[in-house]
Amino acid sequence: MISAGIDSGSTTTKVVILEDHAVRVSLVVPTGDFPQKTARDIYQRALEEASLKEGDVTVIATTGYGRRLIGFGDIVVTEIKACATGVLFDVKTDETIHTIIDVGGQDTKVMAIDDEGEIEDFSMNDKCAAGTGRFIEMLALKLGLSYEECANLALQSEKMIPMNATCAVFAESEVVGLVARGESKADIAAAAHQAIASRIRSMVRRVGQRGSYCFVGGGAKNPALVKALEENLGHSVFVPPNAQVLAAIGAAVGGRQRFEKIQKRENHE
Amino acid sequence: MTEQFDPRYGIPPRRSEDPAAKRYSRLVFEQQRKRNAEIPVRPSNISWFEKILMEEAGEGDARSPIGYFCNMVPQELILAMGAKPVRLGCGNPALVQPGDEVFSGEICPVAKASFASFLDEKSLASRCDLLIVPTSCDAKKKLGEVLADFAPTFVLNLPPEQDANRYGASMASELERMTRFISKQLGLKLKRRALLKEIEAAQTRTAIVRSLQDARSEKPAALSIRDLYVILQASFAGVPLVDWNREADKVLQEVNSYQVDRKRMRPRLVLTGAPIIWPNFKLLNLIEECGADVVADTLCTGIQSCFDPVVIDEKSKSAIYRALAQRYIFASPCPCFISQATRLSRILDLVKEHRADGVLHYGLRLCQLFDMEVYRLGAIMRQKKIPFTTIRTDYSLEDTEQLRVRLEAFLETVWEEL
Repeated sequence: MISAGIDSGSTTTKVVILEDHAVRVSLVVPTGDFPQKTARDIYQRALEEASLKEGDVTVIATTGYGRRLIGFGDIVVTEIKACATGVLFDVKTDETIHTIIDVGGQDTKVMAIDDEGEIEDFSMNDKCAAGTGRFIEMLALKLGLSYEECANLALQSEKMIPMNATCAVFAESEVVGLVARGESKADIAAAAHQAIASRIRSMVRRVGQRGSYCFVGGGAKNPALVKALEENLGHSVFVPPNAQVLAAIGAAVGGRQRFEKIQKRENHE
Repeated sequence: MTEQFDPRYGIPPRRSEDPAAKRYSRLVFEQQRKRNAEIPVRPSNISWFEKILMEEAGEGDARSPIGYFCNMVPQELILAMGAKPVRLGCGNPALVQPGDEVFSGEICPVAKASFASFLDEKSLASRCDLLIVPTSCDAKKKLGEVLADFAPTFVLNLPPEQDANRYGASMASELERMTRFISKQLGLKLKRRALLKEIEAAQTRTAIVRSLQDARSEKPAALSIRDLYVILQASFAGVPLVDWNREADKVLQEVNSYQVDRKRMRPRLVLTGAPIIWPNFKLLNLIEECGADVVADTLCTGIQSCFDPVVIDEKSKSAIYRALAQRYIFASPCPCFISQATRLSRILDLVKEHRADGVLHYGLRLCQLFDMEVYRLGAIMRQKKIPFTTIRTDYSLEDTEQLRVRLEAFLETVWEEL
């Protein structure tokens, strides 16, 4: 069976075409101003790359902030469910994963997974940008750096400066203060990564800190954040190679499971 | 009677016209009314209740309006004295910002919005001849002092514990003191017979609310929780209870005769936590839009607000005061009282009685009382294996989408348990 998962996020849109147990195509593009159109276009492209026609796809599941905007989807799955399903389906580790950390552009989610592989509890950041990818993006801008430069520079820092703000807006003024004090950009960048990692640690502890950890979402592509998070948790975190598209995979898997359930029920009747 | 406020430090009431806030506040009313209009099944007379909440009813009412806060002030006493009891806790998001212009940002939205309604000289709150504010939280205690400049204000002192043996007599005398204050300020008299009549009307209200609750529990599709809240909260706006009873009884008949044509598959929730006040139905909108039913609650502005009857076993005035205290203070679901056990037992009972699939806690930002109780509530729910989540938010709409994700994810986990 072929199923598709579309994760329409605040920053990027991800699409995955799943054939039975293998990912055939996965794509990531910026969401832009028209999430519906972006989703439509990227889905078409994915079909072309997989040499498939629309009719070949049995079920299209959507997730992410734009999950309800995508008119051509069959099933809507929340990011939390999609992310956990994606990780449990696709990520192979030696130890059982009990905590999933998903740092996205607009929000951060932490999921606790029980021994049966079900979501036991989850926590999400509050409405502001504290603890999200956007926080670092804004600080990079303030430092006159690109996001990548900011992350790379942070890795070079050897000095620990405490940064108190967890609010992106207040953090901006704190950065201005640090710059004025003559702190190096590398140290400030490192401090920002530490601040967000500490915030994530609290969310992890809130749902009951338990290893092993799997770190996904766009934030997992940032090596400085991975390092800061490992320091904060006192434990290594596993970053799967396809961390950014796992929610899309999870949506495709979740969509397929639900489809199979419905079919089974109909056969019974 | 000693003065609660020292007149030496009285200051002129602060008033400031803010037409923009007024327009916005009207818009919020209209928006929620429109949103409610989309509810698929509604009582045919719902507009009677809505008009009261929209402040479109009550013109030409000669009774003296008495504004009160919280659910601990017996409406029966005020009604029996021939005055109009108007519950003032404000749920209008448009008034939080004007409140911010006076108070600090660190005060809860109920207190800020409620105070802001006094800034407008023509508002319903400003037209009140007398105010009653129970000491149900720190903000309310001080709000009473602030409002004393706006109208004669009685601060109703509450006991720290809901122990009727220790505090029963003092609460009965506190209510009596409140009656004397009203008498003195407004020249109104309390007649025992009138009081008994009002108590009887309130008992009828309780009976109707209980029947509505039972009927809804059987068939939640018959009456949306939002409509039920509109109906309940309309009874706090000062309409004569007999009128309200008549209209609410019509609703009950309709709900009773509602034919269920398909199986209701929606998760059944018990809602607990902070007051949800018209028109801030943000959370109720979300719950119903995400596909869940609230089958019971412990809210002081919800079903719980009218659930307990006043039980009269002796008809002397002092016995009646004791009975009123018993119902309004010692049976109150407010977390300002020790101990939380009362509320925990109530929630567990409701889950069992109404076959609920989960418990949803609503935390109002900056209300410590509800927030602190989540610590034990969450743990007990986990212990009892009852799906539980807490949604903490304020009056603003900016976090709606984040809340939707949380709620949907919670409902997904509830489904998996089913």
